[in-house]
Amino acid sequence: MFHILLALADKERHGYEIMREVDERTEGKMRVGPGTLYGSIKRMLNDGLIEELDERPDPELDDERRRYYRLSDFGRRVAIAEAERLDKLVKSARSKKLLSARGT
Amino acid sequence: MNLSTRVYGLLLLAYPPEFRREFGGQMLQVFRDSYRAEALNGSVPSFWVRTLLDLVSTAAKERIENSGREGVSMNRRSDAVALLGCAAIIAIAFLLQYVTRNSAASLILINYVLDPLVVTGVIGNFIVFLLSKTTKFNPLRIAITVFAVVHAACLLLIVVLSSSGPPVNWAGILIGYVLSFVIWVGLHFAWRTTGRNQALNSQH
Repeated sequence: MFHILLALADKERHGYEIMREVDERTEGKMRVGPGTLYGSIKRMLNDGLIEELDERPDPELDDERRRYYRLSDFGRRVAIAEAERLDKLVKSARSKKLLSARGT
Repeated sequence: MNLSTRVYGLLLLAYPPEFRREFGGQMLQVFRDSYRAEALNGSVPSFWVRTLLDLVSTAAKERIENSGREGVSMNRRSDAVALLGCAAIIAIAFLLQYVTRNSAASLILINYVLDPLVVTGVIGNFIVFLLSKTTKFNPLRIAITVFAVVHAACLLLIVVLSSSGPPVNWAGILIGYVLSFVIWVGLHFAWRTTGRNQALNSQH
């Protein structure tokens, strides 16, 4: 779910774009199937984390049947809170010499 | 639309109808886009394996979520209706029993029906609800068996108690108990049929 929040953090995207973004960002380590993607989207819509756009950002450039999603204000707050939690964990790991200062 | 997309379109039937209506078209489009990309890379077989694994796990998850939601709300609703119905019938029978006790109506059959209706209604329904919640037997079969046993037990008790008491109208008592049995089993049959029809309607 955090991967989808992250994919939508910088811009609104349709389903296939979200899949591609997750795939590229994780260097192919995490591949989301259509069922997992839309199951997560359904739950995130229900929880108010994301919203469906009424209009397509580029109506002339893509298929009109695509639906676009973006982070809601609540979703952005949840994403920030989760990112901060992960950041603290990484800092803790670094302080215990589990990670180098560069984060590798 | 190529063969793979058609096959995936058919496989989407594994998801609950509402989920399919809401996201089926989008899923098919995502599949089509992914398939094109994978075909260019020559990795269609591994793509199909991943897609099928994704489909099996997520369709099962959506089905379980869906049936849980429908099942729980439907069960609670039919339980509430059945409990209220039983309580209302017992209350009405008890009230009629009280009203007709010292009137001419006590001479007619109605009182022979009201007595077992109240007694077996309280005892029988309690046991039926208890058994239908704790066992996996068919609720209608539970109702028929329990009411048969409870009515027979009550009749036996009357036989034992009346052996040393004043004479009783056996024909009236017997007709009263038979009618009471028919009423209670009939009501459970009606509730069961209505509940099943509602569940079927909500699925369509």
